[in-house]
Amino acid sequence: MAINFKDGVILGADSRTTTGAYIANRVTDKLTQVHDTIWCCRSGSAADTQAVADIVSYHLNMYGVVNNEAPSTQVAASLFQELCYENKDALSAGIIIAGYDPRHGGQVYSIPLGGSLHKQSFAIGGSGSTYIYGYTDAHWKENMTEEEGINFVRSSLQEAIKWDGSSGGVIRMVVLTKKGAVRHLYLPDTNYTGPGVTN
Amino acid sequence: MTSLMDHQARETVGYSFSESTAGVKQHGFYPYTDNGGSTLGITGSDFAILAGDTRSTSGYNINSRMVPKVFKIGGDDETGEGANIILSVVGFAADGTALKERLDTVVKMYKYQHGKPMSVSACAQRLSTILYQKRFFPYYVHAILAGLDEEGKGALYSYDPVGSYEREQCRAAGAAASLIMPFLDNQVNFKNQYIPGSGEGHALVAKKPEPLPLETVKGLVRDAFTSAVERHIEVGDNLQMVIITKAGIEEVYHPLKKD
Amino acid sequence: MPGFDFSNYNRNAALHARGVPLPKATSTGTTIVGCIYDNGVVIAADTRATSGPIVADKNCEKLHYIAPKIWCAGAGTAADTEFTTALISSNVELHSLSTGRDPRVITCMTMLKQHLFRYQGHIGAYLVVAGVDPTGVGLYTVHAHGSTDKLPYVTMGSGSLAAMSVFESMWQPDLNKEGAIALCSEAIKAGIFNDLGSGSNVDVCVIEKDKPTQLLRNYEKPNERGEKERNYRFPRGTTAWLNQKVISKEDMKKYVTIETLSGDDNLAAGEKMEVDV
Repeated sequence: MAINFKDGVILGADSRTTTGAYIANRVTDKLTQVHDTIWCCRSGSAADTQAVADIVSYHLNMYGVVNNEAPSTQVAASLFQELCYENKDALSAGIIIAGYDPRHGGQVYSIPLGGSLHKQSFAIGGSGSTYIYGYTDAHWKENMTEEEGINFVRSSLQEAIKWDGSSGGVIRMVVLTKKGAVRHLYLPDTNYTGPGVTN
Repeated sequence: MTSLMDHQARETVGYSFSESTAGVKQHGFYPYTDNGGSTLGITGSDFAILAGDTRSTSGYNINSRMVPKVFKIGGDDETGEGANIILSVVGFAADGTALKERLDTVVKMYKYQHGKPMSVSACAQRLSTILYQKRFFPYYVHAILAGLDEEGKGALYSYDPVGSYEREQCRAAGAAASLIMPFLDNQVNFKNQYIPGSGEGHALVAKKPEPLPLETVKGLVRDAFTSAVERHIEVGDNLQMVIITKAGIEEVYHPLKKD
Repeated sequence: MPGFDFSNYNRNAALHARGVPLPKATSTGTTIVGCIYDNGVVIAADTRATSGPIVADKNCEKLHYIAPKIWCAGAGTAADTEFTTALISSNVELHSLSTGRDPRVITCMTMLKQHLFRYQGHIGAYLVVAGVDPTGVGLYTVHAHGSTDKLPYVTMGSGSLAAMSVFESMWQPDLNKEGAIALCSEAIKAGIFNDLGSGSNVDVCVIEKDKPTQLLRNYEKPNERGEKERNYRFPRGTTAWLNQKVISKEDMKKYVTIETLSGDDNLAAGEKMEVDV
């Protein structure tokens, strides 16, 4: 999931990758950087979303070098949409893009299965998201502080992990503001209370 | 009008063959599992041996390393004491157990009703009947029955899952049957073996099969299994050998490779 | 045309549609693992190759060379792991020559994932990529569909669950070389004994910073073949024959050159042939 808050955006995800009933990776990093302050949350086929993210990452880096200016979040989202829409019959990828750029501030985009693009104030996706539509809707507030935003994301994901068998492991988060990207980690050992900032 | 060309209109192009019915997926309950393993039986002039490995598998998993496949039939108690017939079953283990229990009961009932133990040949015919009764929902097993016949000679009967049976000198069944059976043909019935220097071309005399002594047969059985273990993944763990002679039934276990 | 030859595709699809089964590839059942330690990385594999329930090779090599300090353990279709690693090994070397730098594990992993993704899982290679490069120690898994994972300890193949249970119960963060080798070996043995697709021996490869890579072929042999009870030598003349033809050495010399070597069998063979005993 990803949300907008007062100073930027927050991305969050669990860390479970499964092949059938087997947990292939319990500490997966589903929050993928495609530019300095443009990140995405991957869900669906790991192979497809990694391939798409790698291609977008390549294009955004080229964009940065050619134009001597960082790409906007919208440019990144459009690139993702192009790939997801044109290859919709070959891909199984649900991607949320969130980024911070000085001109537009924080933005959140969602690209569900068919390859449509939706700009939202916050977005949820993946198998566990169905369990938290009600929760997020009831607790959502515009213009939250960073602390409120982190608590919102963390408690929502905690709920998804609780109810969805395909979600689990640790909670990873990335906070994107004008100051750059800051990673957070919350472990199940301490009921997802810490350790918090990790870089 | 006859034509050499197939003018049938097709929905799609690009294939020179008829489209398969793929897309229609059926899902049903499948009541059988293959539990792997292998068995083998050999007879001599005054004995019969049934042997089997003790591994039980499903897919790439091992259910247990110690599940015997050879049973005493018609014994007086749960240890099988007093039995004069042995049965090996390989294939679907649950059916194997069910079949063994049924035959055991039948042989016991026979003894109570007639006041004498059932002969091996009678038991063999009865087992065939039991199997054929389930012709359209078979016991998914390859059974081998052994004992001593009325003359005291080793008797061995092998069955298909629906009751077709035959008395034989030796038989291998189960997962590694195709590996063991040719070895038995060669070493027990001396197939493809000729007497050196006995003639030229078609005149060469084949080696005559003769009943083998017990110790030789025990060696062959152990060698058959240690070899099967090398090349078949579902065979291993332990070898169970049950030897029936006029002195009674002897049961021995032997370790096999566990990979 | 470079790449794969699809000229039999239509014929084979037609045969398959009419019920002819696909040819059985040598494969799948395998246990491969990898584990990093303070100064390097260890990968290990079992040595059984299967074709259905039959053991095709009792002592095959599943540890593949990519570069001197990057090695790969392969599970899945034997031919796919063999050719994919050989192809990437070749490209990695060309890349290294063109850049004038030592190859990196992440480069190799990226080339593998892009190759496998292009073939949408039809190339059945499941790999553990490990190595040491100027950026440090690297350990990745690459699945046939092209997804990758980066972890301190990994397992793959049909024995991966058995092997992972060893890692999840015994792994600790500050392993040394000996500890990592022992742990990987133990994980492979869990696969060998509990997974029917895996068996025979343990192969280990140790890649350490500033040291030459060690390939410890048959590091452990927990499944030696036992002695046979009986002797199966047939007396000469046991096999039937209908006619015989003797070609003398003099006759042969009309067609080929014959050189007589010394009586020592080992010398004559040049390199001693590998024999399963």
